[in-house]
Amino acid sequence: MGIEEDKQLIVDTLKKKKGKTKFYLKDFNKMFPDRKPREVKKIVNQMVTDGLLEYWSSGSTTLIGLKGAGKQHDAEADE
Amino acid sequence: MTKRKTPMLDELEKGKWPSFISDMKQEAEAREKTSVDLQTPKECVDDLLGLLELTYVDKVVHWKHGGIVGVFGYGGGVIGRYCDRPDEFPGVRDFHTMRVNQPSSKFYSTEYLRQICELWERRGSGLTNMHGSTGDIILLGTTTPQLEEVFWELTDNLDQDLGGSGSNLRTPSCCIGKARCEFACYDTQAICTDFTMEYQDELHRPAFPYKFKFKFDGCPNGCVASIARSDMSIIGTWRDDIRIDQEAVKAYVGGELKPNGGAHSGRDWGAFDIQKEVVDLCPTGCMGWDGSKLNIDNKECTRCMHCINVMPRALRIGEDTGASILFGAKAPILEGAQMSTLTVPFMKIEEPYEELKDLVEKVWDYWSEEGKNRERLGELMQREGFQKFLEVCELDADPRMIQEPRSNPYIFWKEEDVEGGWDRDIKAFRKKHQK
Amino acid sequence: MGYDPKDPLKDRITDIGPKDYKEFLPSVIKENYGKWLYHEILEPGVLMHVSETGAKVYTVRVGGCRLMSVTHIREICEISDKHCDGYLRFTTRNNVEFMVDDEAKLKPLMDDLEGREFAGGSKKFPRGGTGAGLTNIVHTQGWIHCHTPAIDASGVVKAVMDELYDDFQDMRFPAQVRISLACCLNMCGAVHCSDIAILGIHRMPPMLDHEHLDNMCEIPLAIAACPTGAIKPATVNGKKSVAVKNEKCMFCGNCYTMCPSMPLADEEGSGVALLVGGKISNRISQPKFSKVVVPFIPNEPPRWPSTVEAIKKILYAYVDDAKKYERLGDWAERIGWERFFEKTELPFTGHLIDDYRFAYTTWRQSTQFKF
Repeated sequence: MGIEEDKQLIVDTLKKKKGKTKFYLKDFNKMFPDRKPREVKKIVNQMVTDGLLEYWSSGSTTLIGLKGAGKQHDAEADE
Repeated sequence: MTKRKTPMLDELEKGKWPSFISDMKQEAEAREKTSVDLQTPKECVDDLLGLLELTYVDKVVHWKHGGIVGVFGYGGGVIGRYCDRPDEFPGVRDFHTMRVNQPSSKFYSTEYLRQICELWERRGSGLTNMHGSTGDIILLGTTTPQLEEVFWELTDNLDQDLGGSGSNLRTPSCCIGKARCEFACYDTQAICTDFTMEYQDELHRPAFPYKFKFKFDGCPNGCVASIARSDMSIIGTWRDDIRIDQEAVKAYVGGELKPNGGAHSGRDWGAFDIQKEVVDLCPTGCMGWDGSKLNIDNKECTRCMHCINVMPRALRIGEDTGASILFGAKAPILEGAQMSTLTVPFMKIEEPYEELKDLVEKVWDYWSEEGKNRERLGELMQREGFQKFLEVCELDADPRMIQEPRSNPYIFWKEEDVEGGWDRDIKAFRKKHQK
Repeated sequence: MGYDPKDPLKDRITDIGPKDYKEFLPSVIKENYGKWLYHEILEPGVLMHVSETGAKVYTVRVGGCRLMSVTHIREICEISDKHCDGYLRFTTRNNVEFMVDDEAKLKPLMDDLEGREFAGGSKKFPRGGTGAGLTNIVHTQGWIHCHTPAIDASGVVKAVMDELYDDFQDMRFPAQVRISLACCLNMCGAVHCSDIAILGIHRMPPMLDHEHLDNMCEIPLAIAACPTGAIKPATVNGKKSVAVKNEKCMFCGNCYTMCPSMPLADEEGSGVALLVGGKISNRISQPKFSKVVVPFIPNEPPRWPSTVEAIKKILYAYVDDAKKYERLGDWAERIGWERFFEKTELPFTGHLIDDYRFAYTTWRQSTQFKF
């Protein structure tokens, strides 16, 4: 699979999740059972740079979701 | 003068210890008068004082967490905060923290500190923490639009990056080390900077199931608390003999030298008694004093540092120095507090630190594969066992790694441990044993 | 030049790390790096380190607040420029260290620091924090900037340090005493190995704002945030919300981080717990955890008198009774915890008996005790 297909797989998988918009890094590993976590991390972080995904940090842990999705976003983004 | 009435906080201006309230008030006043083109609300410190006064009255905090704010492409370094009374205190409506990666062991030039001050006066609240618990310079409070501006100026103008937060590598920290300590068994500052640079990606972007901390202590005195506070604790030690200057020992006994480097001089503890204060307190009983010569059975020494701390001019750490590597410390939640477990009793610590980095990466791969969400390394070690951890590290078991052997015999034998394996023939059994 | 919001990635620099520490070392430090032979504490707050080259560096250590304004930092810079060639250092415990390479420069520096006071009358640069005495309290953000604190941090520290001020400037204790404060049990400032730990705790489960919860929070995240699995989805008055099994709540506030509709802090419910007897150094005895000896003291802003009083009781019982070199925890273990509660006059209650995981190991399984 090429990098573009990897990214599409991530976007499609996240879009299918109902009622939940933020995920741990480990949840992405499950989408690529044959890959090393370190490779998956690279794809995910690249997608943030691409503007497809965004981080959400509790301060102690980081969650990742599709950019702009989720209720926290609405609460924080009313600048 | 500050605009707001703060009778509760004013009580904290009294007394001799430096008053953070007085300091905040002087900053509020400076912002009132300044000619700097402030990019953040002029009244933010005033409003922060007002909000804090309200909290002192209510006894319930007025901050909410914000998770999305950050600088683009980084998963850490910014902690989002929103005040829950922006109606009353608009100056601290959004008031985010930025963590700035401190230099190894926190030496500064005034030139650099002034640049930070200038930046943070203009684009932040003018309030900082010197430093936060993990070691970063904390820039306390700015608005959302200023985050990118501050980051740009830090990186482009000050050659300075942010620190870690979230499921990242956290900003590594170290003791003062060889810069000004005779006990440093390796160069803590050098390796701390080297590791920070090597793992920039892990520091800035989520990389793990949870946070991961390196702390570098130069000796077993543990001034950066690595054994209690870091997932990987690198603690300086030595494996040869404590160097003894017998003449200096006599000088301590004779009262010419101040024991403990003068650390106990505030009380009259009586004349220094080497037998009582050093030899008898040695936890391994490996020392002897015959009235003229101090003997140390170095083979039995566990390097607790007590004798060296008491007589620093007579006793010095050995010359074959390195570090002990321990893993798994963390503060309480969830499984309770844990200290680090000794995993590599001794390793030489020399550039380019390849052996140590190999070990780090083995551990990270294991934790990333097997760790649950928000499970610290120490909790994974507890869940899967220390034997498993040794396999991951490709290390052999050693009695130095344990306090005592197990007291239960419920060993989880594996098939390969047992001669003949587990595959047995029930028919052969039945030839000897009836049903 | 500067950041352009329309083109945020233009000239963007990332992953450059911290400043090189070598740029910030005073020349006497740089020249004697790795060559130090021994040190001596000349008086409280004044250290002399001697190098094998014969060079000496004199350090004046002064207490600072973790919360520090740029105005104050600029004053520190001014002092450093005047006396220390423009270099200085911070310690891990929020102290500031001014260094000079000649004993003759020491007195003018000390006099200068001594004379500086804040408008309210407190000292700007109290000298001390060395040897067998009390050093600065490390702490977390508290009410100033944290969202889950049970107590303030800076204010409690100020109240305690005002009372113990003389001991910051003295070295009369049996050993060093490290006091730390964390404003909730997440312990950002890991206080669990301190001689005395001041810990903020909550005692009430989160409130549930059922009306707005589903609008403000992502329910699966709130559920996943709970370390003990106490939160379950629920429908209340036809609205999606959550239910909390209160008896499973450990009062950590992690759910509030994820979901602002689950506030935890409370005027009555939140307050102070005290833990004692931890240590980090390997000196004589092994590192050990602090133990809870006061389960709860109400929040008493602005000066937390009951907390300060309890700390003084513990500290001075130890100072009066311990042997030279004995850390607080070593002393408590030697005399026995039954004697500790007697000497400190702290009440022992059932809350102090462990009922969390591995609790059994802290119960007494012997007949060796003291009456």
